[in-house]
Amino acid sequence: MRYVRVETEAELLEALDRDGAHLLSGGTDLLVKMRSGLLRPKSLVDPARVAALRGIEGSANALWIGAATPFAEILASKEVAARAPLLADVVRVLGCVQIRNRGTLGGNLANASPAADSAVPLLLYEAAVELRGKRGSRSVPIGDFFLAPGRTVLEHGEYMRGVSIPVSRGDWIPFFHKVGRRRALTIAIASVGGLTSISNGKAVDVRLAAGSVAPVPLRLKSVERAVAGQALDDSVIARARALAAKEISPIDDVRATAHYRREVTADLVARALERARAT
Amino acid sequence: MKVRFAVNGRAVTAEVDAETRLLDVLREDLHLTGTKEGCGEGECGACTVLLDGRPVNSCLVLALQIEGADIVTIEGLADGPRLHPIQQAFVDAGAVQCGFCTPGFVLSVYALLRDCPAPSDEEILMALEGNLCRCTGYAKIVDAVRLAAKRLAEARVQEAA
Ligand SMILES: Cc1cc2nc3c(=O)[nH]c(=O)nc-3n(C[C@H](O)[C@H](O)[C@H](O)COP(=O)(O)OP(=O)(O)OC[C@H]3O[C@@H](n4cnc5c(N)ncnc54)[C@H](O)[C@@H]3O)c2cc1C
Ligand code: FES
Ligand code: FES
Repeated sequence: MRYVRVETEAELLEALDRDGAHLLSGGTDLLVKMRSGLLRPKSLVDPARVAALRGIEGSANALWIGAATPFAEILASKEVAARAPLLADVVRVLGCVQIRNRGTLGGNLANASPAADSAVPLLLYEAAVELRGKRGSRSVPIGDFFLAPGRTVLEHGEYMRGVSIPVSRGDWIPFFHKVGRRRALTIAIASVGGLTSISNGKAVDVRLAAGSVAPVPLRLKSVERAVAGQALDDSVIARARALAAKEISPIDDVRATAHYRREVTADLVARALERARAT
Repeated sequence: MKVRFAVNGRAVTAEVDAETRLLDVLREDLHLTGTKEGCGEGECGACTVLLDGRPVNSCLVLALQIEGADIVTIEGLADGPRLHPIQQAFVDAGAVQCGFCTPGFVLSVYALLRDCPAPSDEEILMALEGNLCRCTGYAKIVDAVRLAAKRLAEARVQEAA
């Protein structure tokens, strides 16, 4: 195996184009997978020094986060705290200090685990990922990026430059909760995030998303439709709970049963709405 | 391939493969065996070192990724035979049993107290989430962090006076 350190996007494109080349960012997923023999790349291409892939920048209509930006930087960013507070809330409980110092946003997304925590807030903010390959750049809504566990729309030779989070309304009531076996380092058994906006006692805008309960992290569209425009009374919340359980497609695995995941997700959806009602 | 970096303030060069981890270079080439390998996959924190001042798991970093970086291992904290105040606090608080996890904990605490000299219990627990201990049950480790914070604060007052 070879290790290739690149300094520019042109070098990155060229190195990734080779047979068996694999991008290595923080390594917190990739090195674990390689160690267990799940992946045998011919070369590892490290973009840590490509400035265009790093950093956080706010403009008038979007917040940009470079794909190779480590979570610790995202957590420390005032811009993220102000403009995408739910992302900061999620990153605060992602891994631990050591993992946040190495692990990157782009790695979390490109790894495409159903449990990728950062996907939930990005789905809620309706972020887009910018991908670049030999044929040029494209912007893909985060909801279209994941195809299946471990699979995304990224093609061979293509990489993620960064994530763009559109400026959104200021009156969201944020919610995120993940359930795992212990507090830290937890790969979620189930997670639910929400953004709710309430006006005159009615939920004028509701966004809900869940992780670890379907092949890819997803928005709970049927629940959102049922709740939009309604006062969040007990009967609406009960309907939301039932629809949430129906919309997801969890599996049994070593961490939990499908049945448990369904129950927990329904409970968390109810909790998100109760929290919004109480605010 | 060659990799050049600094360990505990000393410039070093090592000959490594693409697969070689930072942990392997530290233990096998540089004989800095205070850095321990527990799980080898990011879960336990026994291999924690400071990379440009930040705690990382050296089992999840390739040696070639640290070209030009500054590494601090547990061997870099003591001042000759005198333990660093954080190490001394671990000893005095009874926070060390088998000791396998201790170097990792001490380095995590070092970074915490540098950035946050008077942490709350919540902040202490958050800073130590990535370090596991099979022996102590954590209470004495948290005591050690409080003791170290207190002693470091007193030392700063004395120095200022
Ligand atoms: C102990 C431990 C705890 C963890 N806890 C959590 C947790 O709580 N929540 C969670 O969601 N995850 C968790 N993880 C998983 C992991 O840390 C994250 O997914 C992390 O964000 C991966 O980023 P990385 O930079 O380390 O990716 P890498 O391991 O470098 O790469 C992962 C994959 O993404 C690809 N990739 C990386 N960057 C790009 C890019 N710019 N363009 C295209 N492809 C790219 C790589 O080729 C590779 O296939 C944990 C991992 C460990 C070891
Ligand atoms: S040996 Fe590196 S985290 Fe366990
Ligand atoms: S003292 Fe034995 S693992 Fe912590």
